[in-house]
Amino acid sequence: MDKVLMLGNEAIARGAWEAGVQVAAAYPGTPSTEIVTSLAGYDGVYAEWSTNEKVAYEVAFGAAMGGARALTAMKSAGASVAADPLISSVYTGINGGLVVCLAGDPGMASGMTEQDDRYFGRISSMPMLEPADSQECYEYVKLAFDLSEDFDVPVMVRLSIQVAHQKSIVRLDETLSGEETGRPAPERKPPDRKTEKYCLLPRFSRPLHISLLERVERLREFSEQSAADGVLAFVEPAAGADAGSGSADGPAALPLRDGGSARIGVVTAGAAYISAREALPQASFLKLGMIQPLPIEAIRRFAATVDRLFVVEELEPYLEEQLLAAGIACEGKRWFPQWGELTPVRVGRGFYEAGLDLPRWAREKAAEDVSVIPRPPVLCTGCPHRGMATAMKKLDLDVHGDIGCYDLTTLPPVSHMHSAVEMGASIPMEQGFTRAGGSEKGSIAVIGDSTFLHSGLTGLLNAVHQRTNVTVLIQDNSITAMTGGQTNPGNERTLAGAETKPVDIAAICRALGVEHIVTVDPYDYQACLDALKAGLAFDGPAVIITNRPCMLFPRKVGGAAYVVDEELCNACQQCMKLGCPSLSHTDATWKNRHKVAIDLETCTGCLLCAQLCKPGAIAPAAPAPAPATATKAGDA
Amino acid sequence: MSAVNQRARAAQGGAAGAAQAHYAGGVVDDVMVVGVGGQGVIMAAAIIADTAMLGGLDVKLSETRGMSQRGGSVSSHIRIGETVVAPSISPGEVDYLLAFESAEGLRLAPSLVPGGVAIVNLQQIVPPLASQGDFAYPFDAVERMRAEGAAAGSSPAGDEARAAGYRVIAVDGNAVGEQVGSVKVAGVVLVGALSAHLPFARETWEEAIAANVPPSFLEMNLAAFAAGREVGA
Repeated sequence: MDKVLMLGNEAIARGAWEAGVQVAAAYPGTPSTEIVTSLAGYDGVYAEWSTNEKVAYEVAFGAAMGGARALTAMKSAGASVAADPLISSVYTGINGGLVVCLAGDPGMASGMTEQDDRYFGRISSMPMLEPADSQECYEYVKLAFDLSEDFDVPVMVRLSIQVAHQKSIVRLDETLSGEETGRPAPERKPPDRKTEKYCLLPRFSRPLHISLLERVERLREFSEQSAADGVLAFVEPAAGADAGSGSADGPAALPLRDGGSARIGVVTAGAAYISAREALPQASFLKLGMIQPLPIEAIRRFAATVDRLFVVEELEPYLEEQLLAAGIACEGKRWFPQWGELTPVRVGRGFYEAGLDLPRWAREKAAEDVSVIPRPPVLCTGCPHRGMATAMKKLDLDVHGDIGCYDLTTLPPVSHMHSAVEMGASIPMEQGFTRAGGSEKGSIAVIGDSTFLHSGLTGLLNAVHQRTNVTVLIQDNSITAMTGGQTNPGNERTLAGAETKPVDIAAICRALGVEHIVTVDPYDYQACLDALKAGLAFDGPAVIITNRPCMLFPRKVGGAAYVVDEELCNACQQCMKLGCPSLSHTDATWKNRHKVAIDLETCTGCLLCAQLCKPGAIAPAAPAPAPATATKAGDA
Repeated sequence: MSAVNQRARAAQGGAAGAAQAHYAGGVVDDVMVVGVGGQGVIMAAAIIADTAMLGGLDVKLSETRGMSQRGGSVSSHIRIGETVVAPSISPGEVDYLLAFESAEGLRLAPSLVPGGVAIVNLQQIVPPLASQGDFAYPFDAVERMRAEGAAAGSSPAGDEARAAGYRVIAVDGNAVGEQVGSVKVAGVVLVGALSAHLPFARETWEEAIAANVPPSFLEMNLAAFAAGREVGA
């Protein structure tokens, strides 16, 4: 048997490939990104980074209508962007199977909110499967494609970051295992051309809504049957107990702290399952794999075998409310937090608080010593966002940001960004801020290239049409950097490696009707200041575009290092305002302030610090050798 | 419709002798690898996890991602046993702490189980915040860990297990790495040091290393592993 360690997301990709997926489209977003990154590596799959999640959904939807099996993947916020086709496609149904992978981020490792994505299943009536480890990711996505075609509906595979980003063992299907072994060529169904199915005019969508509701009932029967068969939902007896012991008598009773005992049952799914099972392996579990529609009768049967039924789920009481509505007594959010990732200790503490006698969770234990120096992520050495951030701080502008690495300038040491909410928000929010009267020293919208191309254009168009006097800074580093360097329409190549024409952002702005467009080198501090001032002074929408690539992607940018002449350094601290990781204090001081040194290993020679250095203490590390022989002075 | 396995996914037998005996009866080893983005924490974790899988055990791994590439703290959790359920380690349950950077070691030391082992690289990476003078970087991190680790009986009364502190093994991974060829293999030196404490055969570790490093650097990495295994014992 071929065993491999895979991320949950990689297992999704593998399973989708084995299931014959032909088209995959997504916009990058943690924790969903690796699904389509991985799929791009498989033969016979067309995979793309689309301009945004709505576009990606529609590409995959169109592929399914055209008869191919298709997949799209997104993070929570992406589902909000794609909500329109997500809901509408459940009305139309599909032709080839369509699987929607929706990866949530309880705990907000990198998300802006921790919305509970399961409600997208509720609002749309899209069936939802929820795997708990990489093996289930691999198996459920294959099942999802079959279900999609059997029931003529897109199927959601709902992931939580603990599942999407865990690495665990996957036992590959022996008939398909091995990198060399190709899958059988997927069969494309004849493309659909059905007006009454795909044109959501009222006359067609009214009957479609009725058949949608009938389909929900058929799915409910499937969910119940699958649970009865122990396939997508199954009873897991207490650890160490005989598999047959979860019978009519129910599980053995567990001791309570008040001296009594009770038969304990837990209903759970996905990431919450792994944490709950880790926290309380001695309980009997009903582990759900299909969470929409719920196998409510199977849950009722399970509930009858226990004295106390707990519902463990991350975020909202999604399961709990449905159980209560069905008249099944249970305990949930009373004991387990409604916010954050549910880790074993948080679930364990909940069971303890609920009266179970659990020595492992009896005491709160320290995870780390938070008094040790904080180490938050920072802008990289040589990051092209740094110059403009420092210049905007110098001018004390109100900075309305967007979603990208530049959000790191909200934190010390730059600490100068005043909003960063959701993709594309910067330019319209800046318009509203301006219409409200703006601010004394001026305000500006800041957005990256990928986010501008994702959802910034329509906002800028609005400013032009409304003649709103806004200044927009497009920090163009020619990559989707924060999620790990994915391509976007500004690049010369697609995800698949095909050559393409990079979009000209300045030309777009011009076409939208912007009359003041300036391109500036963000390593030239004075030019940054000048460009900002000119943009703010211009009467009408103004756009400033920076033109240096990301330091990390697509390749690490290097350059000759610079050094500080300790004699000349007067410890003025101007350079330290940049928050460059290559600058640090030395033991030497001047007027009780520490002088500064540059790390020669990591300095890329962007020279921003030298431009801020009043005594001119920063110079090339090597005394101007012939360019061909210039090297980094590595061991000075 | 494929039958979804019902949790019968533990080791498929065949765990090699010592490892099999070690993990019999439900023992789970919790290994945490910590450091700073860019130090190679993720690759080290992959080697450890692959070793466990090749050794016939169940293994789960979780790690910080995303923004961690920007010089922030990073950590990987690796859990090894006959059957592993959760991929993340609970507070206070780390058996082996492998710290690529000493302040990160000090930060996570409270998560060690009594009697646990901390293997700490001497490398010190001062974050920009400390350079701003707002915070003091703990240059004495290893000494502080040694003192804390040795402080037996510092626990609440009646908790016998707490009577044991933790063991600190300091390794100059960068220097050892440089001796065998490059500072870039420091991470594998540290993996070597950890290997002296886990019940897997040397060949299993070497197989896992080969699966995770470019072939042209395999020899140097194996030398780094061997050197680390010696200093880590």
